[in-house]
Formats: sequence, structure tokens, C-alpha cells
Amino acid sequence: MTVKELVNKIFFIEILKGLALTLSRLFTHAVTIQYPKEKRLIRPGFRGQHALVRDPDTGWVKCVGCGLCAAYCPSQCIYIFTTEGDDGKKIVEKYEVELLRCIYCGFCVEACPYSAIALTENYEYSDYSRDALYMTTEKLLSNWDKFMSGKKGEEFFKKFWRPLSEDFGTPEGQAMFRKTGKG
Amino acid sequence: MTIDTLIHIAINIGITIINIAIVFAVAMLHVAYATYFERKVIGHMQVRLGPMRVGPHGLLQPFADGIKLFFKEDVIPANADKPVFYLAPVIFLVAALTSLAVIPYYQGFVIADINIGLLFIFAMSSLGAYGIIISGWASNSKYAFLGGLRSAAQVISYEIPMGLSLVGVMIMAGSLNLTEIVNAQHESPYGMFAIPQIVGFIVFVIAAIAETNRTPFDLPEAESELVAGYFVEYSGFRFALFFLGEYIGMFIMASIGAICFLGGWTIPKYITDVLPFLSYVPGIVWFLLKVYAFIFFYYWIRATVPRYRYDQLMAIGWKILIPVALANIVVTGLVKILL
Repeated sequence: MTVKELVNKIFFIEILKGLALTLSRLFTHAVTIQYPKEKRLIRPGFRGQHALVRDPDTGWVKCVGCGLCAAYCPSQCIYIFTTEGDDGKKIVEKYEVELLRCIYCGFCVEACPYSAIALTENYEYSDYSRDALYMTTEKLLSNWDKFMSGKKGEEFFKKFWRPLSEDFGTPEGQAMFRKTGKG
Repeated sequence: MTIDTLIHIAINIGITIINIAIVFAVAMLHVAYATYFERKVIGHMQVRLGPMRVGPHGLLQPFADGIKLFFKEDVIPANADKPVFYLAPVIFLVAALTSLAVIPYYQGFVIADINIGLLFIFAMSSLGAYGIIISGWASNSKYAFLGGLRSAAQVISYEIPMGLSLVGVMIMAGSLNLTEIVNAQHESPYGMFAIPQIVGFIVFVIAAIAETNRTPFDLPEAESELVAGYFVEYSGFRFALFFLGEYIGMFIMASIGAICFLGGWTIPKYITDVLPFLSYVPGIVWFLLKVYAFIFFYYWIRATVPRYRYDQLMAIGWKILIPVALANIVVTGLVKILL
């Protein structure tokens, strides 16, 4: 054994270095965030609970029932039921999201040509049964009113999903940001 | 026997009973909060908070733990040796608690001022090993049995260097009486025996950590490997008894370290010469400070050092600590004779 190793063993040099490190850590701030009292900072655009955009003119969903979101969803958790409306046009009868399958990727928001579905910044919706976490149309619409009312809802799509639309506008033949023709 | 002597005896017994009650209550409270502070200190050393929810900053956590353990179901393994199973935690706890009786907490306050105080504490810690072996055997479980064997072997192996390191203190103090040892430290020019007996002190600290089955020597009860070793089959209140016994053992070791090496309830004369106001502080405060420092060292080591493998553990005890402690005795004896 070399002299250095011998000195290390007799005087516990490495153990003392470890002790110095833990002692210094004793006086640093803990990194714990105590959940209900302190909450982690949520960045804008956080993908939380789903909400269906409420069409201000009809009061029902903006969704036309094209099914692009359901087709694009990796977990296949969107269920859309459409019927024939009064004037022969297609209306959405039921739009349901099975929340427990969702992976919160945001593909549905990206795919929707009419910006009719959004992911709000709400993440505090734990419940005790599977039924409570099966989002029906009414629940989804009310989410929009609760979490995206006012300016938030208006700016949401422009800020996060289609930021160039403000500068360039929508070309004539494109489906995006065209009013749905119902109002 | 006149009435006078009878009254005298009755008063003495009364005072002793009150002393016992005070020491028991204070020791239990200390042990309960030792568990709380362990979690807090180790938590902060790992850059996280410890218990925070029960009471302000988690201060009522020990009571929550106690109530939980009290109400848990008492599971006894099938084919376990029942009388022995019931007896084991009691032996362990009683051996630890009895040692509290001979420790002088401050000038003049000992429940039992016996002239062989130090030897009594060794004897009681050896009896504690019975509790370990018996619990390992009576649990009728392979893990418990192996854990019990290993732990008992560890405890009795480390009692030897612990005793030998204290022989150096005995030589310098000239007595086994704990009060006399503290007084001898106050008289000596060093103030604390930790300074001339530094080698003995280090051996004592290592042996004390191994005696109480604490990290880095806690393989027999390794919480992540053997799931509590020899007391794995104990649940609810019996587990609480083992746990209490372990923490009281820690306090006993800390008290012996404070008394024999750090000066007990006194502070060295050379410090009171420089700062005379310190001599107005009551002795119990110094004693408690030294014990708390020792206990903090237990927690500090637990947060820092990984655990030793069992053969490394035994090798350290037999091959390193015993020769070092023996050399310390030889040197101390020579110095005492020749100087």
C-alpha cells in the first residue's frame, strides 16, 4: 500500500470529504415543492384537460364532426357521434374523450382544421371513479367556459398552434380559421 | 429498626422512584423526537424536507407514528415459538433501559451511583444480544434467523473493542464509577479525555455505531436488503419496542461517549478561564449538548457512508479495531507508569 493510501485509511480522508459534502448540503435550500400549498410554475401552453371550443354564435360546439382528431389520436380515445340536423347538415350529437386513455400529446388540437378542441392548462381534476373521468360533451364545453373564457380562449390558438396566421392570414383555399358557415 | 430509619428508607425509595419516573419520561420523549430529528436531518442532508404535514413542520410526527403502531394488527408467524417471541423485544428493551439508571446526568443526579457503573453498562449491552438472537430464532423465518445470527455476532464482536477503548479511560481516571470519571476529566489538564485518548475515542465511536446496528454497520437490519433482519416478523407494538430499544441504545452509547470522552456535564478549565460566563450554565445543558452532538454524528454518518458487507464488517472489528485498541492501552499504561 502506498503512503497516500495508508494516510487515507488511517485518517479517513475520503469519509471526511463525504461528511463535509453532506454537511454543506444540510444548509442548502430543500428542492421539495410542498404540493397543495406550493404549486409548480405552469408554463403557458401547458397541455392539461381537454375543452371543446364553444361557438359564440350557436352556443354549441364549433366541431363539424370531420373526425380528423379521432383518426389522428394515437390512443384512439375520441368518440364522435353525428346526426343529421334540421336543415340536412351534419351536426355533432356527442363528442366524448376517454380521459384515461389520453396521452396529452396535443395531436387532436394540431389536426383540427377548425380549432374546435383545445387542451387547457388545468391539471387538477383527479376523481374517484372511471366514470367521472369519461369526458362527455357537456363537461368538455363547460371546461371551455371555466378555463378558457375571455382573452385566453381568443389568443390560445394564435399563440400556440398557428402562430404564423397573424402575419400571413389564411390563403383563400385553406380550411383553417375559416368560419364554419353556421353563423 | 426504629421509626426514624424506616421513614428514612421510605423517603429514599420515594425520591428514587421520582427520579426513575423523570429519567424514564425524559428518555422516552428524547427517543420519540430522535426519530423525528433523524428524518429531518437526513432529509435536509439529501436536499429535501423531512416530515412537514403532521403539526407545524411535522413536529407531532412521533405521536402519529406511535398511534399508528399501537393500532396495527399483531401478526405472529405460524409455528413461531410464542413465549419466546413475546419475550424477545422485552429483553432487548429492558437491557437498554436499565443502562439509563447508572448514567450521571449532572452533578449529583444518578439513579444508582454504583462503583462499577461502566462495567454494568457493558453487561447490559451484552444481555441485549440475547434479545436479538431470541427474536431471530423465534420468528421461524429464514431471513429473521440469519439476520439475528449476524446481528448477534456483530454485537458481541464489537463489544470487545468498545470495552478495550474504555480501558484507556479507566486507566486515566482510575475508577469505573462514572461520576469519578467525569471529575477526573475536570481535574486533568486536558479537560476531556478525548484529547489524549484520541485513538481510543475513534475506536469507541466506530464500535458504538456497530453496537447499535446503525449504518454503515447495519447489514443485519438493512432496510433495503434484509427488510429489518431479525425483527422482520414483528408488527405493531412489538416492532415499536424494538425500535425504541435501538434508539435508547444509541442514547446510551452517546451518553457514555459524552461522559467518558467529552467531559460529561463539565467544561474544561481552560475554556472557563477564557469565557467565565460559561460556568453559570447548568451542567445538564453541557451534557445534553454533547449527547446531541453525538446523536447528530450518528445521523450524519448514516446520510453519508454506504453500508459495509458483512465480512468487511467483521474484519474491521476483529482485525483492525482490537489491535488498535490494545495498542492504545499499552501506550496509555506506559505513559501512566513512566510519567
